[in-house]
Amino acid sequence: MAETDQAVVEAENPLLEGLRLRRRPDPCALVIFGASGDLTTRKLFPAIYSLAVRRLLPERFAIVGIARTEESDEDFRQRMREAVEEHSRDELREDVWQELAAGMRYVTSEFDDPGGWERLTRALNALDAERGTNGNRVYYLAVPPGAIANLADELGKRRETEGWTRLVVEKPFGRDRASATDLNERIHCHFSEREIFRIDHYLGKETVQNMLALRFANGIFEPIWNRQFVDHVQITVAESIGIEDRAEFYEQAGAIRDIFQNHLLQLLALTAMEPPIDFTADSVRNEKVKVLRSMQTPGPSTVVRGQYGRGFVEGEEVAGYREEPRVAPDSMTETFVAAELYVDNWRWADTPFYVRVGKRLPRRETTIAIHFKRAPHPPFEELAAEGLRPNVLIVQVQPDEGVSLAIGAKVPGQGMTIRTVHMDFLYGGAFRTGLPEAYERLILDTLLGDATLFTRADEVDEQWALVDAIVAAWQRDRPGFPNYDAGTWGPPSAEELLARAGRAWRRN
Amino acid sequence: MPLAHVDRWQGRNVRLADVGRALAQLRDRDVHDEDGPDLRTSVLTHLVWVPERWRAAVEEVLKGLDERHPSRAIVLYPHPEPERDAIDVEIAVESYRLKGVCRHVSAEVIRIDLHGRRAEAPASIVSPLLMHDLPVFLRWRGQPPFGEGPLEQLIGIADRLVVDSTEWDDLPAAYPRLANLFDRVAVSDIAWSRTQRWRRVLAGLWPGIAELSELRVRGPRATGLLLGGWLRGRLGRDISLALEPDETITAIVVDGIPVQQPPGEPKTPSDLLSDELEIYGRDRIYEEAVRAAAL
Ligand SMILES: NC(=O)c1ccc[n+]([C@@H]2O[C@H](COP(=O)([O-])OP(=O)(O)OC[C@H]3O[C@@H](n4cnc5c(N)ncnc54)[C@H](OP(=O)(O)O)[C@@H]3O)[C@@H](O)[C@H]2O)c1
Repeated sequence: MAETDQAVVEAENPLLEGLRLRRRPDPCALVIFGASGDLTTRKLFPAIYSLAVRRLLPERFAIVGIARTEESDEDFRQRMREAVEEHSRDELREDVWQELAAGMRYVTSEFDDPGGWERLTRALNALDAERGTNGNRVYYLAVPPGAIANLADELGKRRETEGWTRLVVEKPFGRDRASATDLNERIHCHFSEREIFRIDHYLGKETVQNMLALRFANGIFEPIWNRQFVDHVQITVAESIGIEDRAEFYEQAGAIRDIFQNHLLQLLALTAMEPPIDFTADSVRNEKVKVLRSMQTPGPSTVVRGQYGRGFVEGEEVAGYREEPRVAPDSMTETFVAAELYVDNWRWADTPFYVRVGKRLPRRETTIAIHFKRAPHPPFEELAAEGLRPNVLIVQVQPDEGVSLAIGAKVPGQGMTIRTVHMDFLYGGAFRTGLPEAYERLILDTLLGDATLFTRADEVDEQWALVDAIVAAWQRDRPGFPNYDAGTWGPPSAEELLARAGRAWRRN
Repeated sequence: MPLAHVDRWQGRNVRLADVGRALAQLRDRDVHDEDGPDLRTSVLTHLVWVPERWRAAVEEVLKGLDERHPSRAIVLYPHPEPERDAIDVEIAVESYRLKGVCRHVSAEVIRIDLHGRRAEAPASIVSPLLMHDLPVFLRWRGQPPFGEGPLEQLIGIADRLVVDSTEWDDLPAAYPRLANLFDRVAVSDIAWSRTQRWRRVLAGLWPGIAELSELRVRGPRATGLLLGGWLRGRLGRDISLALEPDETITAIVVDGIPVQQPPGEPKTPSDLLSDELEIYGRDRIYEEAVRAAAL
């Protein structure tokens, strides 16, 4: 039945009213390109399995994996079973697994082998007949970025005439504005924007979505969420790990393309955006893109880059970036970026957004901290209030997902001594169902066709425009790398960025 | 979520001020834990009225519930026999370890034995112990004594009454009496939740089911009556109902054709109650089913 006919029948069905029905996705086949890769093993399959456990997958569903590695259907099932056992948040249940595995197929092929495409088409047609997947397709491109454009071309040329098609594209999307435009144009030749789902997995995180709940479901925050009351905002995306074995990728990308261009700018957009009129894909993304468009291009004095040298992380001595395997000994790739950014609109004019991302920092944490202005005139003696800092609202994205508010409170006892205390709301403490993994939400949304939590073409474009401007300035100088020790919060110039305005980064 | 520790306090013949002090002391003890004070994230007060015959069953469900709903549970055990007029209280503050975090989160269970005349004015005993500004869910075990003091009083302070009409003897006659409460308190019925997976299957039979005239249900009497009421109400038809008793719903036949079993496993009693504690507001479809169940 076509989607609209189904909707009419459902609208007329009096028995559906009040049944807390989660919308179940239409029957479809999910085709994963890059099925032997790291992402499929560690993230995609464990997430698909968790959706199966919760009965959120379509009733009629199939998965086809494709990669070069030679494998039979049975090998693929076995390997994915092991992946689920190792990486899923749910215990493997035999009945759930068997049901999922029955719809799994594997096609061994080079992406440019016409024979492989034919085998894929045959496999999908057979699944339509056997499992009733109705010609509906989700193509998930878990492949190296260079392979995306050609795959989109091939898929476009072979579009099914029946059913709907969706294309899921992993990050990074391009490596600068020009290549992203080019990639968008190539994909748009065959797919409309509604059919394209660009992943930024940060948007799948519960705490990132909670930012919207916090801002727009609570009357008390929005009135003070502006330049009148906010002194500045700090956004930190810190990793304690190094580059693991991703040297080839990282040497090309650096921190600015790996994290800043996507995750960080998305967090900033969600923090700064105006309330959307509803929670549909376009309303939310329209507001985010307005923020990205209002951002000033930062000058060289307001951007700091760094690269880690040797140091200690969690008590262990670790190598400097240039000593990592397959990294050039004179590499100029940045592993740290900090910047002072401005959103030029009525809400935020002149309010700095200090952002920093980096590797080999003292610990893994992603936080958004709203630093409010000081109380105008605390009526206490200076000494009494020396432990008092301005209020800070901290949205802890990971780990320890939650929200915390720093407030001043009187220390019990004689006199009037004030100290800052934190009121914590821990997600896990209030809602004790385990938090779903970001990929669960995102895969489910692609199956449902809901693009709210995916990046639209114009957002990507604006994000790259900003990054291009920053990177262009970098061509003109050669900082003395390495300029921070592993296990520290970046180069001293990152501190100076705030210190010159009398501010400091949050410390814990 | 793993239980980290339980702190307890007990008192016989106590006053409510003693209970308040004991709660504060138990909380204070946690502050000195090496992991820092336990977190308290409160979402509701869960009030339970437990006549003697339900005592064991309640303990079972509470065990499954505490770690899901971090809140205060107040369990009231009435003993109306007039040997003594007194309140005996036992408090357990249960701390659970949060995954990946060096912090515990605590839930309080306050068990109150109401002896003699103290069982007559339970609302006045409970009111000082409710969490401010948060919803109060009243779980009533067994068939509520409609129109009697304790029920009337506790409904007055509750936002939602949670019953399980499979625990009732007087069916379907009790349904209209329950319906009389609908304008005063939102009601949920665990018997109704149990029918949900079957209602989904039945809804899938639309539009064929629109002309239904005979429904057979093998399962608890309450669930059969509610399903009948639901279909009568929703389809606006007179439907004849045949019931065959069983522990859970095992078969449904519509106009002589057996309905497919719903997928997945039925939920546990703790899960069912846990789901009910997440619903706020009135369930109009349930209310309609209850009204039509007694027809
Ligand atoms: N891994 C992560 O956690 C992560 C996180 C965020 C984004 N991503 C993005 O997700 C994508 C995949 O990452 P990954 O880490 O899974 O990469 P990967 O481990 O290198 O896997 C790449 C996959 O693509 C297949 N492949 C590559 N070229 C092919 C060709 N010409 N023909 C057929 N198959 C080909 C490989 O097959 P064979 O191995 O069989 O040759 C392999 O299955 C990348 O765009 C990455 O940036 C990954």
